[in-house]
Amino acid sequence: MVTGKISEGAEAVIYETEVLDIPAVVKDRIKKEYRIAKLDDEIRRARTKKEARILALASSKGVNVPRVLLVEEHRLYLTKLDGGTLNVLKPSKKAFGDAGRMLAKLHNINVSHGDYTPANLLLDKSGRLWIIDFGLAEITNSVEEKALDILLMKRSVGKAEYRDFAEAYAKGSDRSEGILERLGEIERRGRYQTRTLLTG
Amino acid sequence: MVVLGIESSAHTFGVGVSENGKILSNEKVMYPIGAGGIIPAKAADFHAENANQIIKSALAKAGLTMGDITGVGYTRGPGLGPCLRIGQLTAKTIAAKYSIPIMPVNHALGHIEVARLAVGFKDPIVLYVSGGNSQILGFTEEKFKHYHIYGETFDIGIGNMLDSFAREAKLNPAWGSSVAKLAENGKYFDMPYTVKGMDFTFTGLLTNAVKCLADHDPKDVAFSLQETGFAMVCEAAERALLLTKKREILLSGGVAQSKRLSEMMNLIAKAHSFRMYNAPNEYNADNGAMIAVVAEKMLDAGMQKPIEKCDINQKYRVDSAEVRW
Repeated sequence: MVTGKISEGAEAVIYETEVLDIPAVVKDRIKKEYRIAKLDDEIRRARTKKEARILALASSKGVNVPRVLLVEEHRLYLTKLDGGTLNVLKPSKKAFGDAGRMLAKLHNINVSHGDYTPANLLLDKSGRLWIIDFGLAEITNSVEEKALDILLMKRSVGKAEYRDFAEAYAKGSDRSEGILERLGEIERRGRYQTRTLLTG
Repeated sequence: MVVLGIESSAHTFGVGVSENGKILSNEKVMYPIGAGGIIPAKAADFHAENANQIIKSALAKAGLTMGDITGVGYTRGPGLGPCLRIGQLTAKTIAAKYSIPIMPVNHALGHIEVARLAVGFKDPIVLYVSGGNSQILGFTEEKFKHYHIYGETFDIGIGNMLDSFAREAKLNPAWGSSVAKLAENGKYFDMPYTVKGMDFTFTGLLTNAVKCLADHDPKDVAFSLQETGFAMVCEAAERALLLTKKREILLSGGVAQSKRLSEMMNLIAKAHSFRMYNAPNEYNADNGAMIAVVAEKMLDAGMQKPIEKCDINQKYRVDSAEVRW
């Protein structure tokens, strides 16, 4: 039973719904007319499966992410979280520390998020922080991918917020030294400086 | 203002003349690409041999003589070094001999501005696809006025991929269109599809397609390669459109001449009620008029350069080219 549309992105539409009376959201990867049917179906199916797998992994290792309730070919049903995202709320300092700790936890299990910005961090009513939208996430031990997650956050928040974020990340991460070193390297390559300027 | 523009970044040597934002002529000659692709030094020799003649015919078509020209522009980059060098030297010689201002132009900017003149848009996301380049661009005033690169290829340009495949499949030169022709009535089978956010890579796709030639019908391979490659850049462009909330799309560059790619972008435009623009093929292919158009805007904005500072840059990125107008 689908009720209201929550948001519409480039590849998916998110609706409110219920699964066995549990408040849920459904992420529906929509059909793209510009792709031929076979390719379109394959992309939507593979990405839905991959996102479900990554969410299940993160969830099982204690990272705060929505739980997967049901997986269909092109649809993912997730537990609905009540709260607001950090780009909309005026969050406390603590929230950015939590964001750093949570990202370290995610990286420790070799998952990169791919779009780690305040818009994808949700603060619930009890003050718990959740990571959402794993559409661009990867299972990877690449230092580069992890450093890019940090860089994206750095470009999206103020100096004070980033300091709290980075401190907490360094404390929580198993390999923070190598990752932060790579971050410096990436920033010195001119290209990513302008590249990430606006994508946050 | 009457400005002469010289383009020589790859296999085309083109000269165009523009007067107060109107194109008066657009002449060109193309280095014949054989089975070996472009050999930069040979293409440069070819450009040098033809420069004089093409300049003359561009002036004749415009009904002007060299004495009427009030500024000269050339492609600074990106492109092949030896080829760029010929355009640069020609422009510097003209600027010195006639004591007129000289403007080094970014090639991608040329494609965008000449398309603006031809089809009229305001603030589009540009899908710029050619042999050497494949980028998703959009104008921004952040830090300075320029085209931001939202996404791009991490390895080769999509045109380069189609060309390399065409050579492996022993198709006729005019590679991109030969692949399109072969792809007619092809059937789709799975190929590696690599998009990361708004960036993409093509070498994996190319390697796979070439390998598949051994045990698949070539027309199925061509079809699958083209569908996959085009879908990748389309997805990246769609993401950039939704991120920036821009509502216009410009399809530009040599590969923009593809009917199938144009059809796909049109479907994206339709799905979101965006407007889609595609410049006439004359301006999607490399040409001198596009350099004249930008050079004239640069001159108007006081962006001429002292002759001794007029260099070339094979990797001149569009996001470092100021758009002061």
